[in-house]
Amino acid sequence: MSGTNKKFVFAYAFLVVLPLLGLAGILKSGRGLQAPASIDGLWSLQLDSGQLNSLPCGKVLAAIPDHAILISQSGNSFVLSFPGAPKITASGALDGTTLRASLNDMGASKESGCADGQPLTMLATVDRRADSRILAGTFSPTNCATCASVGFKAERQAAASPKGGH
Amino acid sequence: MPNLFTLVLQITVILAVCRLTGSLFRKFHQPRVVGEMFAGILLGPSVLGWMAPQVSAYLFPPSSLGFLNALSQVGVVIFMFLVGLGIDPKKLKHQSHAAVLVSHVSITAPFVLASLLALYLYPRLSDASVSFTNFALFMGAAMSVTAFPVLARILTERDMMKSTLGNIAIACAAVDDVTGWCILAYIVVLIRSAHQATSIWVTLAGIVLFAAVMIYGVRFLLRGLERTFHKYGEISENRMAFLLLLALASALCTERLGIHLLFGSFLMGAIMPKEPKFVRYVLDRFETITITLLLPLFFAFTGLRTNIGLLSGPSMWFYCALIILVATGGKLGGSTIAGWLSGMPLREAAGLGTLMNTRGLMELVILNIGLDIKVISPALFSMMVLMALFTTFMTTPVLELICPDQALRPAPQKISVAEVSFQEIA
Repeated sequence: MSGTNKKFVFAYAFLVVLPLLGLAGILKSGRGLQAPASIDGLWSLQLDSGQLNSLPCGKVLAAIPDHAILISQSGNSFVLSFPGAPKITASGALDGTTLRASLNDMGASKESGCADGQPLTMLATVDRRADSRILAGTFSPTNCATCASVGFKAERQAAASPKGGH
Repeated sequence: MPNLFTLVLQITVILAVCRLTGSLFRKFHQPRVVGEMFAGILLGPSVLGWMAPQVSAYLFPPSSLGFLNALSQVGVVIFMFLVGLGIDPKKLKHQSHAAVLVSHVSITAPFVLASLLALYLYPRLSDASVSFTNFALFMGAAMSVTAFPVLARILTERDMMKSTLGNIAIACAAVDDVTGWCILAYIVVLIRSAHQATSIWVTLAGIVLFAAVMIYGVRFLLRGLERTFHKYGEISENRMAFLLLLALASALCTERLGIHLLFGSFLMGAIMPKEPKFVRYVLDRFETITITLLLPLFFAFTGLRTNIGLLSGPSMWFYCALIILVATGGKLGGSTIAGWLSGMPLREAAGLGTLMNTRGLMELVILNIGLDIKVISPALFSMMVLMALFTTFMTTPVLELICPDQALRPAPQKISVAEVSFQEIA
């Protein structure tokens, strides 16, 4: 074997073969990692619209034709939107199995009973036992200690497209 | 039914903005594609949606995006056919030690580094519905890709296509792209088969059978086209339509097999006859409409899916910086070291590394697939788009710095088929 070939073989082993062996190790060690619970997708909401109407800002949410929430997840953070009311969006955070989001931009208007600085807070828990398909929680006015909260349940719709599952 | 007024308005605005930014970027010695990628970001929620939400909502209502996406996907299907057409597998067989080492290292280095980064990013930017293996493999494939067409364009513009450096770079980019697409196909099959009744082995057997039919059957059929071209100096409209039909049929087959439309059109391009004049003739027939009309729609659609606003907080920007660093370190660094160990002068090896770090449109295609199959999250998608933009943007200035023109005039060597290709794509 010539000197050039030897150098090539050495370089190839060091720069290609060795890293590939490392890759196998990385893939193996990564299997033990745990990612945040999956909440991404379309959820159909079940709640009492009458109760929601009584909350400040609740009218806007109660008026949404189909009670569905679309959650777009990126790790521990998520963006929440309503397909029936595209202008209402909120960003939130996931802590373990607890979701918290502030719906700030509710199209504040006196007619809707929604004043500035009084957003709704969504607080919910995802049920990991049910394969993260059930969400249960409350909507409550953020800056109103005396206001009641409205409970809701949500069920995740079947995914339209495949996910990078296990 | 699509709202035709909205659709035509969208196309008009997209083409105008893409042309303007493309021309502007050309003034700064950047390939037009960088400007068009940037135009997509401008039209999306990151800029237009943030600065003028009402204009954005009027121009791009969510209900209209399906039609825009469909049109842009047709464009990418034809584009991938053209990319395949520009790759000559025979030329890849007889490469020097340097080309073999650089091409393999330029895949493994970013791939392994991306997988290592995945250990850090998976718990932070993914979710439990995505397995670590799929996440890491996708990150590896996405970071190891090189934009073959953009590279060909940069080399042509700098008159480097016939140089040793140009030849090695173009061969390595072709190897990278083919490998990257094979890995991506594997990931897509893995993910989709988990949701289908068909066993993965049936899918794999179908893919092997399909590839065999294409390589050993359709390829010979296509030689007739080449003969006709040589006999008459042109190909009739009917035969061109037949060629397009074959590309679309091939795309449909791979989609049906559970991979993706794009793999079929890419394979169809790859098995086409590679005689330079024939390749140029076919490219001339398909390029204009694809590049001036359909690809800008793809850039715009990608921009509409890219939301830099999702990168809220220093930690998100830190992840983004880390992605750019790892992508650049793996590709540029890995290729430079491999080139240098192969006996190239350090300056030339660094030039090669810089060229290999160009990701461009190919990266966007892969990222869109990743977002479609949901192996990456919207925030990670936005970070990776920024990485693609950054690494493509940096190529020309860094190359000017490392390898000024006079340093790159080696003796002419063999001419790649890519010389006649992609004069306009990038």
